Amino acid sequence: MATEYGGYMGKVLQINLTKQEVSEYPFTDEERRLFIGGKTMAAKILGDHLTGKEKAFSEENLLVITTGPMTGSGAPSSSRFNISTLSPQTGYITSSNCGGHFGYYLKKAGLDALILTGRCDRPTWIEINNEKVIFHDADGIWGMKTGETQAALDDKLRLKNGRVRKNGKICIGPAGENLVLYSCIVSNERVSGRGGTGAVMGWMRLKAVCASGNKEVQVHDKEKMVRHTQKWFRYLRKHPLTGSQLPKLGTAGLVSAMQMKHILSTKNYTYGQYDDFEKVSGEELAEKYNIVNKGCLTCPIRCARTVEVNGQQVKGPELETLVLLGGGILNNDLESIFKWNYELDELGLDTISCANTISYAMEANEKGLWDNGLKFSETEDLSKIFEDIAYRRGIGDELAQGSRRLSEKYGGKDFAIHAKGMELAAYEPRKAVGLGLGYATSNRGGCHLNGGYLVILEGLGLSMDQTTYHAKGDLTMLFQDLMEMISASGQCLFTSYAFFPTPLMNHPNAWYTKMVNRILPYTGPVVRIINKFPEIACFHLPVFHHTKGFEYTTGMKMTFGDYIRCGERGFNLEREVNRRFGVNANKDALPKRLTQTLQDPKDPDSKVPLEKLKKVYYHARGWDKDGLPAKRLLKKLKISEGADI
Amino acid sequence: MITVKIFGVARLRAGTGTFECDENDVKNVDELLNRIPNTTRKEARDLVLLVNGKPAGRRHRLEDGDEVVLLAPAGGG
Ligand code: SF4
Repeated sequence: MATEYGGYMGKVLQINLTKQEVSEYPFTDEERRLFIGGKTMAAKILGDHLTGKEKAFSEENLLVITTGPMTGSGAPSSSRFNISTLSPQTGYITSSNCGGHFGYYLKKAGLDALILTGRCDRPTWIEINNEKVIFHDADGIWGMKTGETQAALDDKLRLKNGRVRKNGKICIGPAGENLVLYSCIVSNERVSGRGGTGAVMGWMRLKAVCASGNKEVQVHDKEKMVRHTQKWFRYLRKHPLTGSQLPKLGTAGLVSAMQMKHILSTKNYTYGQYDDFEKVSGEELAEKYNIVNKGCLTCPIRCARTVEVNGQQVKGPELETLVLLGGGILNNDLESIFKWNYELDELGLDTISCANTISYAMEANEKGLWDNGLKFSETEDLSKIFEDIAYRRGIGDELAQGSRRLSEKYGGKDFAIHAKGMELAAYEPRKAVGLGLGYATSNRGGCHLNGGYLVILEGLGLSMDQTTYHAKGDLTMLFQDLMEMISASGQCLFTSYAFFPTPLMNHPNAWYTKMVNRILPYTGPVVRIINKFPEIACFHLPVFHHTKGFEYTTGMKMTFGDYIRCGERGFNLEREVNRRFGVNANKDALPKRLTQTLQDPKDPDSKVPLEKLKKVYYHARGWDKDGLPAKRLLKKLKISEGADI
Repeated sequence: MITVKIFGVARLRAGTGTFECDENDVKNVDELLNRIPNTTRKEARDLVLLVNGKPAGRRHRLEDGDEVVLLAPAGGG
């Protein structure tokens, strides 16, 4: 189905694995305009098929792999693709935005998206070359770890001249094959980490997909886009977050700032500070271990680190892994985290959920609820535990189910740190309560990014009052919608950090920055107006290059207000599909440790006032008191026309 | 003795993560800002300041045993 818009290849393929049948899936230009791409396009496709009765491990589930119109357009950090499915962890939609090369090469193959359904009768891998789909027996690679799998696939794609055909791939490791609920999908060294997408692929008996081809992304206005892209690259390189902090220290550079602001989750989120944080910080990593910075295709930020493990250069840990396998389990040995990070990627396990499940188990053992042998700060055997999880052996078989299910069995629900069944990221929300609201309302469960990442205002980039609930409902909505659209368009969420004007970041002690920090809690009504009537923002913001870039790439009109509205549509669409699976206000919850126990006994505000925050947030979103989008809203957002509601 | 700790990109610029100052040499935070290695006063003034874990202004008086933390705003993870 060809398209009049630039940036798209105009084709979505549906692959029925049971029958090994391939067909074109109709996706119209009207749908492209409304549902853009990435996670929103995937939610539209899932929403058109899921009724609320399906299970993650069933022939009725779909694994939807989408790109956005910006993927492969040459715009900064635009190699991203998304994987959405019904999550075995939460039972709701999960979406995972990933770097690597796969998105770029899927478009080179002439496709915007792949929809996988059914189940292979034996382990299989799929080769896609210029829209042609070939099913291969995966007997030889089933059981391999992710690095070995990708090397073996490259061997299979060797041309007559001995060179490997240029390709992008996704694959699962043993964890996905063995249906560990939080297993991930790996693409090069990048990971579609959250929500158990790897387990769904494993259930489908699909080991890998390789994409290649020689098609080109046609950009609507190439000349303007080239000029705009140059400007955008320069802007990102000059911005203190995307041009300095992320390239120099990676995401790991946040550890020390989080420590100072009491948001560094420590000992299974018991504390917000870790005494030994300096030993497991981004500065330590950068000064003593980082070999070279790496980045996804077309990314000027290059936030990835490279470290040495067993004489081999491998990807260094991201912030989440560093914190959750550091202070989270009271481990101050940085080199052990490098090793585990590598091992978890090789096994195909989500580092965040895995680390949090381990810290839950340690606390359950400490409290005498579950005699499992795991203890805080005694971490020598963790490599073996990870293997046991991936291969479902002994205690690993239990840990493979994640902290929510374990707490239902052994007790300790108060300290099983998850939202909707997916474990939280590394930010301790009792001193960043807006992020607490984000974790609770994120469609995919305990995610900081899908949750709106308000922590950037609550002590990291800016210094808004960390524990006030004022304005945070409205700001959370705005940030969630903004992130939603960046992801849908096929770009990295980290490009959004350049949204914060450089002077505010560069001069935290200036009078105007202090004034902004003070005013932020009073901005609720103004933000509410923007959220409600984004059309009034019928312009492009000089600090936000995404909208013009989108227009030049696709040819669609996209002001800042339109951009927010598209994000709102995407967020509500996922919520609406999740409603069919039972999501409501009761499911927007956090464990009692975070909502009822004070982080600092002397500070009565150091807990997440979740109910207060939710009330404002639901009102801002136009949801009813059960936390569900009103029919009127769905109609206004043009969600109800296609979706079966 | 006053202990000064530097974090974030400011630490990479300074080339050191920690140093000490005699409390007799620096009366307040403002004076301390002149002593950060490889860092101009203008750059130092743009760092977030904490004294003993609490936000502090440049006029904050320093005493023996104080710990001063300097860090740059950060975001993205
Ligand atoms: S900022 Fe980091 S994660 Fe995002 S595209 Fe660049 S290298 Fe990849």
